[in-house]
This record gives sequence, C-alpha cells and structure tokens, in this order.
Amino acid sequence: MSRSGRIRAEATAATRSFLRRRTAVFFTFFFPVLLVLIFGVVVRTGGTGGGLFALPPAYYVPGYLAVVVLFTPLSRVGSEVARHREGARFEKLATTPLGRAEWLFAQTLVNVGVIGLAALLIFVLVVAATGANVVLGARTLLVVPYVFLGVVLFCGLGAVLGRVADSQDGVIAASNGVALPLLFLSETFVQPELLPGWLPVWASPLTYFSRGVRAATYDPAGGSVAPNLIVLAALAGLLFAAGAVAIPRTD
Amino acid sequence: MQQAVVAEDVRRAYGDTVALDGVDLTVEVGEVFGLIGPNGAGKTTLVRALTGTTDAEGRVEVLGAPPRSVDRERIGLLPQEFSPPERLTARELVAYYGGLYEEARPVDSVLADVGLEDDAETWYEKLSGGQKRRACVATTLVNDPDLLVLDEPTTGIDPAGRRALWSLVERLADGGTTVLLTTHYMEEAETLADRVGLLAGGELVAAGTPAELVAEYGGEPRLEVTVEGDVRAATAALESAGYRAVETRGGLAVGGIAAREIGDVAGALDDGGVPYGALAWTQPDLEDVYLALTGTGVGSGGEPVDREAEPADAGTPATTTVRTGGDRQ
Repeated sequence: MSRSGRIRAEATAATRSFLRRRTAVFFTFFFPVLLVLIFGVVVRTGGTGGGLFALPPAYYVPGYLAVVVLFTPLSRVGSEVARHREGARFEKLATTPLGRAEWLFAQTLVNVGVIGLAALLIFVLVVAATGANVVLGARTLLVVPYVFLGVVLFCGLGAVLGRVADSQDGVIAASNGVALPLLFLSETFVQPELLPGWLPVWASPLTYFSRGVRAATYDPAGGSVAPNLIVLAALAGLLFAAGAVAIPRTD
Repeated sequence: MQQAVVAEDVRRAYGDTVALDGVDLTVEVGEVFGLIGPNGAGKTTLVRALTGTTDAEGRVEVLGAPPRSVDRERIGLLPQEFSPPERLTARELVAYYGGLYEEARPVDSVLADVGLEDDAETWYEKLSGGQKRRACVATTLVNDPDLLVLDEPTTGIDPAGRRALWSLVERLADGGTTVLLTTHYMEEAETLADRVGLLAGGELVAAGTPAELVAEYGGEPRLEVTVEGDVRAATAALESAGYRAVETRGGLAVGGIAAREIGDVAGALDDGGVPYGALAWTQPDLEDVYLALTGTGVGSGGEPVDREAEPADAGTPATTTVRTGGDRQ
C-alpha cells in the first residue's frame, strides 16, 4: 500500500472510531456552541464603554473559532496518543510500514474535517445569534487556511502532550492547562489594550491565528492577512514535526 | 539453515531492574520457537528487543537486518497487552491493518483463519475475551508475514479456541512462517514449538527441543499412589522393596518407575498390606522442566514450594516431606 493508502487506512479507522463515540462527537460541537451562547448572547456587555466583550460581536469571531481550533485537537490527539500507548498500539504500529508522521497526518486530517465543520457551525451561529457584522467575501475564505493550519499546529502540540502525560486523564488536565491561558492571552477575547504590556502575546501561536482571522473577517481590524498566515504556517510545520517525533515507538 | 532471528548478548535494564541480562538466542527460518518463563522473567522485553520496540544493548538481527531496518511487510507482531480501536468491527479492524501494507490478504480469509467469520460485523468491544484475542491475532496475519511474533497469543482464550489457534500456528509453520511465541502454557509450548527457550531473571537458562529439555531437566517418570491407609506404612513397604517413595499430599510418589513396573509397585503395596485407591503414572514434561529451572513452583495447596529442598528427580510438585528409599536406578 502506498503512503496515501496507509494514511487513508489510518484516517478511516480514526474517523469511524471518533464518530462512534457519540458523547465525544456531541461535546465537540456543543462546547463551542455553549460558549457562543454564553458570551455572545447571555453576557452582553457591549456599550458599557470598557471591559470584556465591549467591542462589536464580530471582533470575537476569532475567539470563538479559536475554542475549537485549540481545544479539540489538543485533547483529541493527546487522548488518542494516550489510548494508543495504553493499548500497545504504537508498539504494534512500529512493526508496520505506517510511519509516525503518517499517523499524525491521518489524525490531523480527521481533526481538520471535524473542526472544519464545527468552525462553520460556529461562524454561522455567531452571525445568527449575535448579529456579528462580519466581512463576507473572497477575503473571508482566508479563514479556511487559518483553521487548517491552526488544527495542524495544535494536533502537533497534542501529540507532544500525549507523549509527556502518562494517561488520558493526564492529557486532559495538561491540555486544559495549556489551552486556557493560550485562549485568553492571545488577542482572542481580550483585546491587547487590556493585557499588561510585558505579556509576550507574540509567543502564543494563537495570536497569529486571531490576528489573521480578524483581519479576514472584521473590517475595523485592518492589518494584513498574509504575514500572520506565514508565521502560523511556520509554527504549524514546527509543531507538527515535534509532534511526529514525540509519538512513541518504543516502551 | 538460515536464521530468522539472531540475538547476541542482549541487555535491557529499567533503572536498577535488569530485564534482560545477556541473552543469546537464534531462531531458524521456518522454526516455531517458544519462550517460557515466570512473570517478570523478561519475555516481553525480549520480544520488544527483537522487534525494535525497546532500546536494548547487544546485537539483534531480524530477517537479516536490525529490527528497526527490517522490511516491515515481512513481520507481524502481537504485543502482549494489545488493545486495538474498540469501536471497529472485526472486519474493519482487519481491513484497517491490512491497509497499512503493500499487499494484504483478503479480509474474509484472515477472519476465517481465526474463526471470526460469523462475528465479522461485531464491534471489537462487544466480542468475548477470547474473540478479542483472536481478532488481535488476525491483525498480525493480514500481511502474511515471514516472521510472526506472538506475545502470549492464547491468554484469555478458552480451550477450544486455544486449540484452534494452535492449528493455525501449525498451518502457518507448515507453510514456512517462522513463529516466535511466548506463553505461560507449557502444553502450548510443548505442542507447538520446535524449540523452547526458558527465561528466568532476564537470562536464557535453557534452550532446546522440548524432548531435550525434558530429558535434561525434567526428572524421571513417576507413579502417584493414592494411599487409603497409613502413608508411613506404605512408604516403608515401598522402600523395603527398593523403591524411592516421596510423600505427597494425596499419598506417595514413586520416582524412576517405568510403565512396565507399575504392577511391581502395586505388588509391593499388596505385600505390605497397604490399601491404595489409584495409581497414576506420569512422564516428566515441560512443566517439570519449568519448575526445576525457575527454582520455585506452587504446591497443590497454592503455597510456594522450595525446589532446592527436593531431589531434582523427585518431580513432585507438592512434597511436604522427603524420604529416600532404595536406589532402583
């Protein structure tokens, strides 16, 4: 079987396994929806002149998308690595022609599909539920590569967490510990003026995702889409490679 | 004859714990090699060393190449604690692993080999324990490997399933597949393996054909006597007739008895006026080798028995006292 055949076999098995875990499927989509409803519909502080959620709803589109782009790959790939370790699946795979990068790429493809759907759902929901005035046009399509690269990046990081943590519980705890600070300190929901100047928001890969998606969907944001995309692509390549190397092939 | 597996001075330690301590091993092409040994003896670590899934010192060659450079189309591995994706059907599971190879066998043929044709559409998690293990074995057959490495393949499988798997291994071996398997079932090793290696404390303490091992370490044939009267009187009657009798929980064991001598022993008991219930003659087997070489066994009451305290040729697994009679050798 060719490389593409191996990846297809792995991705097919991973997709089936995921779709048959109904709880996982439900919460993969429900969690970001819940967030949109809480912060976009219930907590509406716009017009108070300051604080969180004081900007127009469209400003927060990158934040809502970041929730799925960040949390889902981290926890899914991390848990998958932990499950594979506990079930000696990597030990088995190490004696098959499937390479580590191929395995991670297959998992990433599954996540791209799942998160792509979730992102589309969120995008529509934000516009419908909050009346966000997003830019709709050819430029909006640039969100697609941002979501793709974001998923690749955090799948890589998820694989690293799966390697470092010693159990599925450990992976969930570690991914929450990594994701929560990233989510709120990367120009997603909290605008830069509200963050202390010394905070290195540039060090968070999610910052480039937020800036790029905002530039593509929110008119007042201004700025260029391409530079952030390039940085995100470079980081995605780096993290994917780190994730592939981190995948264990020995005990 | 070509060698499928060569291991020289293989060592592996986990911190202060030595798992493998200079193991030398060869497996010939087409041979079935069984690895036996107590829990913690190093069997699984050796399997990992041979398949490149642990970092071990020493020289290992598999099908003429280091384990991590070997053509992966040619080997199949069943890890001991292998647990594949649970919500795939048996058919999907085999198809999944088949999809990882250049050339895979037809899924139905593999499922038939392990007797899962009728459960092909059942999710792995819904299969019984034995069926799960057979599904796992199926994933190792899908690429028709030249070298099959099975780490405790029949654990959790019922006797009928176990025998079906034995037949499968025998068919594979007849077809030229080299098989390396670990097992806790002595009968399995004795039935399947051309040669058996016994690991203890990380060392390969013995290797050879089952017959060679039994001849060298298994002790003598023995006759178990269920005594219905006074065991001491029975012992005395046999000793006076020149037999070596060892007291056991159910009666006596008489060592060094050929099958044709059973009547003589019965006659000695009759002459001594000792009533007895049953006579059971047994030849030494691989289990006796295992118990003799691993140093400890488990008595019939479950308590450990110190083998060092027994004569090596007594071969009685549950001896409480040892009385040595006349030499009949």
